[in-house]
Amino acid sequence: MHAAKGDRIIIRGHRVGEPDRDCEVLEVRGDDGGPPYVVRWGDSGHETLFFPGSDAALQHFDAADAGGARS
Amino acid sequence: MRAIEGIRRSGVAIGPERTMREAAEIMERSGVGALAVLDGDHLVGIVTDRDLVRRGLARRLDPHARVDSMMSSPVVTIEADADLRAAYAIFRENAVRRLAVTERGRFVGVLSIDDLLINLSADLADLVRPVTAETIYGHRDSPVPATRS
Repeated sequence: MHAAKGDRIIIRGHRVGEPDRDCEVLEVRGDDGGPPYVVRWGDSGHETLFFPGSDAALQHFDAADAGGARS
Repeated sequence: MRAIEGIRRSGVAIGPERTMREAAEIMERSGVGALAVLDGDHLVGIVTDRDLVRRGLARRLDPHARVDSMMSSPVVTIEADADLRAAYAIFRENAVRRLAVTERGRFVGVLSIDDLLINLSADLADLVRPVTAETIYGHRDSPVPATRS
């Protein structure tokens, strides 16, 4: 995974009925956009270090595209 | 398969100064049941939802108590490049359900017994599929090799 500041990471629910989770990348600690990432969890304001697994997908945000995100 | 390839869920880490309440909220928000506790780059412990209940709530600790007062330490680890089968022996010899996966001494993720069970059941399903097909649809005859008369 290669992320940039401002990207969003989506973590799929692991069980039926469990919602997806998401967090915002605040800082990239690895080389060349690699993990770990300092992330903020939604509106909770909590910041943690995040090590993406196979359940995580990256959503890049294009600053020039005011319409939203592309995967 | 390498140990790091067996990880099914993302890992989340917090600092030892974070509180019990923060740890619980982060678990709820991120959907994980265990948080690695890192002091800088140094892995100093693991705190689980079970730790919060048994070592925190049950002992009536203040919600603002630090997580390093209830975490498990030292942490049982496995190297990221180790054969995944090595994890079976580590789980067998230690009363833990999760291993911290490290790469050159740095934490990179958490490998759980659940991860091993999921990988194992996927392998079993691959083996069972042709046997099931044979049972349902009958044996497929091998072609007789052509012979010269």
